[in-house]
Amino acid sequence: MKSLQLSALDVRLALMAAVLATMAVFFHLATGNFLTPENLYNIAQQTAVVGIVATGISLVIVARHIDLSVGSVMGFVGVLIAWLQYTLGWHWLAASAAGLLAALLVGIYQGGLTAYLGVPSFVVTLGGLMSFRGAAFLVGNGKTQPIMDETFLRFGGGLNGALGITGSWTLAAALLVLLAWRVTSSRRARARHGFPSRPLLADVVFTLGLVGLAIALTGAMCAYQIPGKSQGQGIPVPVVIWGAVVAIVSFIVRRTRFGRYVFAIGGNPEAARLVGIPVRLVTLQLFILLSVTITIAAIVAVARLNAGTNSLGTGMELYVIAAAVIGGVSLAGGSGSVLGSVLGALIIQFLDSGLLLMDVGIGQRMVIIGQVLIVAVAFDVLYRRWSGERLA
Amino acid sequence: MNSSLIEIDGIHKSFGGVKAVSDVSLNLDAGEVVAVLGHNGAGKSTLMKMLAGAYPIDQGEVRMAGAVVEIASPAQSQALGIETIHQTLALADNLDAVQNLFLGRELMTRWRTLDDYAMEAAARKVFAQLNPNFSNIRVPVHALSGGQRQVVAISRALHFNARVLIMDEPCAALGPEETRMVHELVMRLKARGVAIFLITHDMPDVFGLSDRLAVMKNGRVVGTYRTADVTEDEVLGMIIGGRPVARVEQQVRRAA
Repeated sequence: MKSLQLSALDVRLALMAAVLATMAVFFHLATGNFLTPENLYNIAQQTAVVGIVATGISLVIVARHIDLSVGSVMGFVGVLIAWLQYTLGWHWLAASAAGLLAALLVGIYQGGLTAYLGVPSFVVTLGGLMSFRGAAFLVGNGKTQPIMDETFLRFGGGLNGALGITGSWTLAAALLVLLAWRVTSSRRARARHGFPSRPLLADVVFTLGLVGLAIALTGAMCAYQIPGKSQGQGIPVPVVIWGAVVAIVSFIVRRTRFGRYVFAIGGNPEAARLVGIPVRLVTLQLFILLSVTITIAAIVAVARLNAGTNSLGTGMELYVIAAAVIGGVSLAGGSGSVLGSVLGALIIQFLDSGLLLMDVGIGQRMVIIGQVLIVAVAFDVLYRRWSGERLA
Repeated sequence: MNSSLIEIDGIHKSFGGVKAVSDVSLNLDAGEVVAVLGHNGAGKSTLMKMLAGAYPIDQGEVRMAGAVVEIASPAQSQALGIETIHQTLALADNLDAVQNLFLGRELMTRWRTLDDYAMEAAARKVFAQLNPNFSNIRVPVHALSGGQRQVVAISRALHFNARVLIMDEPCAALGPEETRMVHELVMRLKARGVAIFLITHDMPDVFGLSDRLAVMKNGRVVGTYRTADVTEDEVLGMIIGGRPVARVEQQVRRAA
């Protein structure tokens, strides 16, 4: 029966998880200190900023658009939030709200030009890539804006930016209970409607796999102790924020009209229009959603650096788009997943950190990561051909 | 004079100076099938796309049950009970059959989230009516056969209780088995009182299904006749020559 088979998407995600595991083992054997609590803790933290924006940009690419300005906009918004706090003395909450407002205006501007005027998003955001980097310079005349607020700095991880041991295990336990409830309630609902469910064994293996992974990761995060502190760190706050963003965006994709329309537009824009989907409005909303993820990423990035600098996020668009594409988002539109963007972001960070630990220079690292992106896309093309998925 | 279910009165459409449809009037009653014929570029599809809300109407009006209606968007057309099966089927290839059936008109839970269970249950019912063997309703429709894709497109008309159905070349890409299914469906909907515009090139479709036929050429209606009054040769003559058939009276309205 067709419904009992794994979808092409499941296979792809499983494959990527296997790639990640292989990379981890390889780097650990090569360096001896890849799979250590400290390294895993740092990787998790470092990936969060790219990962948060990658969730938003995945949807933009699914709908056949692109945003090249994400790094610049994040720089602009980040410096603005830092400048409002340091130079104008605003409370961090007010400063963050103002940053969000600025990001929303950018999203409405760029999204509006794309959706309502029909200017290709490539061009609009290529202009934005320049302009908003310039805007980041203009805020505070290019001077670095330090951040002192202890509460705000927690968003970036660092010394006090983790949940601690009790908090981490509580969160992990709560998530696992939620997962078990989701799986059972979905099975029950399908049975109530008389629809076939996945085999019980598949659900059990899948759930136990996630339980094991969650326990291992939480354990690793709790095992990392910063010298001079009495207790392990636990899950870093940026990772919690990233996880929350992934959960919310996944929910939007799977459970809301908006999410369904984004995929419909990516699959067949003309059909979307003919069945009455408000294509322009959905496109505008897409850029607004991206703006929200950029703001969240900007807050985490600024808090991590303890400062807003005008170079914040330079070149990040490449990492974000690469994470989405390695994670299985097709540039032709209509296919991709939020979870894929998480794995894609992790693959890039694994590669970067692993090569760094192996003492590979920055030049070689850039050469390698660039080529890995091409390998990933080439694989994607072949995989789709093999699985019979038509490229629109 | 009692009014038709839908009346098109003197509508025009041009694209940047090129007249695609000029001064077309056509009416359709409940339970009636009117075939719309003509060469490619005669204006059939443009006419139907205006009714579907895909193109704005430049001039003229559309009345339903005597009242003038506005059709400015596909959503407005659907709200009036007009369902359109486009020649391209208007399916999102990456979505599955259930998602395509409800695309743009999803069923929601009371928390305003997508109600997938309700949609799948309703979809299973509709698909079973059309084709009992159609089971892979949860795979992306690009993996389905031409006939199954047609079932998905047609199921929209069935599920949302169309009052007026526009079918643009419904059998063009289908095998004999699937063509028979579409024919049966047309007769069934007709019996239910649905008014159907059938755009086609296929003479057996015209003579097998329609009550009246309208031939278009260069954006104008050449003539509207009771199908029983004219022969296949006369119809072909109108399509090619663009001149009405002199020996029979035109039937702009259905004779009672």
